[in-house]
Amino acid sequence: MIRQLEEILDQGRKSIADAGSESALNELKVQFLGKKGKVTALMKGMADLPPAERPVMGKVVNEVKNSLEELFEARFREVRELDLERRLVQECLDVTLPGRRMPTGALHPLTLVTEEVVQIFSTLGFGVVEGPEIEKDYYNFEALNMPRNHPARDMQDTFYISEDVVLRTHTSPVQIRTMLKQRPPLKVIAPGTVYRRDSDLTHSPMFHQVEGFLVDAQVTFGDLKGTLVTFLNRFFGRRIGVRFRPSFFPFTEPSAEVDIACVICNGKGCRVCKDSGWLEILGCGMIDPEVFKAVGYDPAALSGYAFGMGLERLCMLKNGINDLRLFFENDIRFLRQF
Amino acid sequence: MNVTWNWLKDFVDCPYAPEELAQRLTMAGLEVEGMRKFGEGMDSVIVACLVSVQPHPDAERLTLCRVQTGTDELQIVCGARNHKSGDLVALAQVGTVLPGDFKIKKSKIRGCESQGMLCSEKELGLAEESAGILILPPGLPLGQPVFEALGLKDVRFEIGLTPNRADCLSVLGVAREVAALSGTAVHFQRPVGPAGEGDIHSLTSVAVAEPEHCPRYAARLIRGITIGPSPDWLARRLESIGLRSINNVVDVTNYVMMELGQPLHAFDFKRLRGRRILVRRAEEGDLFTTLDGRQHRLDSADLMICDGVGPVALAGVMGGENSEIGAATQDVLLESAYFNPQTVRRTSKRLGIHTEASHRFERGVDIDMTPLALERAAQLICETAGGSAAAGAIDVYTPLPSRPPVPISVRRSNAILGIDLDGERIGRLLSSIALNVEKDGANPEDLLQVSIPPFRHDLEREIDLIEEVARLNGYEHIPVTLPAAGVDSWLVPETAAAAARIRTALTAAGFSEVINYSFVAPGCWDKILLSAEDPRRRAVPLLNPLTEDQSVMRTTLVPSLLDVVARNLSYRSRDLRLFELRPVFSPDNAEEGNPASEKLHLCFALCGRRAPEGWAQGNEPVDFFDLKGVAENLLELFAVEQAVFEAGAGEPFLHPGKSALLRCGPGVAGYLGEVHPRVLGRFDIDAPVLIGEIDLTAFLKAPVEEKKFRPLSRFPNVQRDTAFVVDVTVSAQQVMDTVRSAGARCLEESVLFDLYRGPGIAEGKKSMAVRVRYRSDEKTLTDEEVNRFHQKIVDALCGRLGAVIR
Repeated sequence: MIRQLEEILDQGRKSIADAGSESALNELKVQFLGKKGKVTALMKGMADLPPAERPVMGKVVNEVKNSLEELFEARFREVRELDLERRLVQECLDVTLPGRRMPTGALHPLTLVTEEVVQIFSTLGFGVVEGPEIEKDYYNFEALNMPRNHPARDMQDTFYISEDVVLRTHTSPVQIRTMLKQRPPLKVIAPGTVYRRDSDLTHSPMFHQVEGFLVDAQVTFGDLKGTLVTFLNRFFGRRIGVRFRPSFFPFTEPSAEVDIACVICNGKGCRVCKDSGWLEILGCGMIDPEVFKAVGYDPAALSGYAFGMGLERLCMLKNGINDLRLFFENDIRFLRQF
Repeated sequence: MNVTWNWLKDFVDCPYAPEELAQRLTMAGLEVEGMRKFGEGMDSVIVACLVSVQPHPDAERLTLCRVQTGTDELQIVCGARNHKSGDLVALAQVGTVLPGDFKIKKSKIRGCESQGMLCSEKELGLAEESAGILILPPGLPLGQPVFEALGLKDVRFEIGLTPNRADCLSVLGVAREVAALSGTAVHFQRPVGPAGEGDIHSLTSVAVAEPEHCPRYAARLIRGITIGPSPDWLARRLESIGLRSINNVVDVTNYVMMELGQPLHAFDFKRLRGRRILVRRAEEGDLFTTLDGRQHRLDSADLMICDGVGPVALAGVMGGENSEIGAATQDVLLESAYFNPQTVRRTSKRLGIHTEASHRFERGVDIDMTPLALERAAQLICETAGGSAAAGAIDVYTPLPSRPPVPISVRRSNAILGIDLDGERIGRLLSSIALNVEKDGANPEDLLQVSIPPFRHDLEREIDLIEEVARLNGYEHIPVTLPAAGVDSWLVPETAAAAARIRTALTAAGFSEVINYSFVAPGCWDKILLSAEDPRRRAVPLLNPLTEDQSVMRTTLVPSLLDVVARNLSYRSRDLRLFELRPVFSPDNAEEGNPASEKLHLCFALCGRRAPEGWAQGNEPVDFFDLKGVAENLLELFAVEQAVFEAGAGEPFLHPGKSALLRCGPGVAGYLGEVHPRVLGRFDIDAPVLIGEIDLTAFLKAPVEEKKFRPLSRFPNVQRDTAFVVDVTVSAQQVMDTVRSAGARCLEESVLFDLYRGPGIAEGKKSMAVRVRYRSDEKTLTDEEVNRFHQKIVDALCGRLGAVIR
């Protein structure tokens, strides 16, 4: 019987080592240790042994059984490990396949540039105000020192709604509205949509501006220069050449046009800057005393500056966009680039 | 305003090279927008003499010329016919590059060598058109560059003048500015006109009935002239600043206007009935034909120059056809006047006539220049057109009210500019532009009294002088400072903040933002099938639109967004998620203080596939519920309470069965749905499109759930699923409302997780399944407890909705 047991153990050892899968091992386990298995059968045969041999034999049978169980256990671990290895090899992905994505959207480049401009002026302490796009002639022109029959009105071709109502031609009426509503000191910007009756390659009948102004007891032209130089450096992300040159706006005096060194050619002269090396980027000046009078402020006690810039132009220069019309064609291939 | 280097030199000795002058003018506020150099790089075009002109042996239309350059004799093939031997011509030598990048090379033309080209005026950039080659006046030295020999080497400055600088609408005016910038003086000699014979007063008369509108009217009479082409110098000068030469008399009036800034007009004296002039207002309703052939209806505010019978010119704007000079004119009455700027502007604007003359009168001319320009022009007419002047001039003059000196405070000037100049420096700067500066008697330390010459209409107030100080001292010399800290506003309009959140949410959901024009075609209301009574047809119209397509302000964003969808589809972009967040306009219910109502609307549209194209995704198209999901996400973002989607938006442009109205609290905030197939057709869209529009003003006014922290339960939740069959008419909303209101305790959340119609379910019925999760804050719920709670929901579904549990 002992010999039988040893044979079983030997057989078991071989078969277990040969078994290559969990299922084969399970089958084997039934053959050896199952209810009708070889070891079980032998254990049943114990009853036929003389009682004196039984404890000895019982011990041996148990030892064989335990050995087999250990062998099975060890082999099971090995096979599982091997299975996992095999599966991992099989499960290899082509990681270069594109991921499963959500549709992506983009903000309009004009929204992005507006947000950026607002952000920069916010850090300089400017609040944000808004005004209506359909505006009274009074706020758009008259209160800004542009009476009817004034040649300065020719500077802006106007869409009229009625004799007294226009589509605002600039964001400057927001200055008037804000000054009428609040008392100085005031330090605000007003981004918004404006309209001029002009449409060609470089003019859109609708476009966008940001107006900014500061009214306080002692504001100087130097402060205006400082504010705008700071803004332009931050917006273009580097120290950029800036020049202020005398100009004319009815609602500011002294007035200036601000040029930046051409961002395309770095001031060397190119087609974009018409070989001048400079690009006109915004208009500004000290708020005209007539404007203060129109809102009931005392020009002797206050001073202030105001500036206005076209957002399309800023956006085109910053992003290298070469055609104004793209902003309002809304081709998704354009919109998605920003 | 165009001026040339040579013309400026008549009045000022400019120490700068042209480039530097342009730069300095620009920095002084006279922006030089362009420069054109005549004769630059053209020194190789030289004076040559035709030695012989022979027919080309092999081409009938060509000639074979031998030309002498002074050093060489060359053979040139020439296609012109107006030349003969002995003529002086302009020879472009080999290597010359003519305007238009036309390079002259040695070549063979029909077998004969040509060693250069004989040029026409057009080829040299001297004229727009020319017939034949340029024949030079005799006596020019051979071999000299042609532009030099003709005195045509010149530079044109194209100055973009701001409307305040009317004083610079003349060569003299720009010269004054150049003199101020360079510290030199203008040399302007008072023009002396022809003495003449026969007293003008015995031949004609001028009466001014409206001295307020015409403070000065001066005239001279020149008889026996011959209208003809202008001499070369005159024609060339006008052409050099971009004016066309017309005839000697017209050219002289234009020349003097450009030189001195005073518009002039020449009447054909014999056509003036009664041989006299009366300046008066027009009769209301009179018709008048200007010399451009256009007829105008006058009103009583138009100032007219009249003869003995009726109007002969629109004062300061344009002459009349009835007194225009022509080839047969022999006697001219020359007018030099000062008209009230407002009067001229009113008429010019009303009639839509803008001329060089009206441009100057509107902005204000120099009233002291009136007689001087008249004399200058009379002299030039006599020189170029012959004739003899009548002795003396008429000058009807009502002096303008004298302008008191304008005070400027040194302290105030420095305070505004942020600079530190003393009174002496300020005085010197202002004197440089011909202002007379004196210290104020009472306050000599701080105050200067400045007298303003009559050509500077723009200088009236202290601030105007402060600007001149800044300009003349140079903006670049104002130190860069930052405003004193202390003013710091952090206001951001509420709607702007909300709009920013919506933009972020929508781009995260795959939507791209578009911006359309605020004005649309009135026909777009028909395109989206709005009924005749629809209030959205009441749009704000523009009085003067650019085109019909841009003539009314939008009342809804839908048509524009559908246009964008259509355009993108036509570019083969098929999967679209777009939104626009812009105001719509209405003449009604304007917000206080505003002329019209402006309400921020959000419009969003989808079409194409739900997921981006790819190997791992299906190609399911978007449907109503993708659209609704967007709206629901926004409702959640703003925690809008009591939002309800009602079946059928009632919008004519939406599919009646696949659209819904969005109610937020008491009001309607918007609608959404699939675009009506009929509307798609009108936009040439061949794919289903889903669109929604929300009035953000209403949306943001809706009651919102207060966001308040709720402690998190530490006990597990338990879930129960119930499937049941109901009539198809029972809405999901009814089911979910029933679940929520059944009174089940500890209900944490409920989801409708299955919906089925088809085989196995009776006709007219549908199968639905809800999953309900229960959780207590105090303990772990037992099965019995949850069963009890859930039974209430089951009972409610069966009792209220007739559900049969499956």
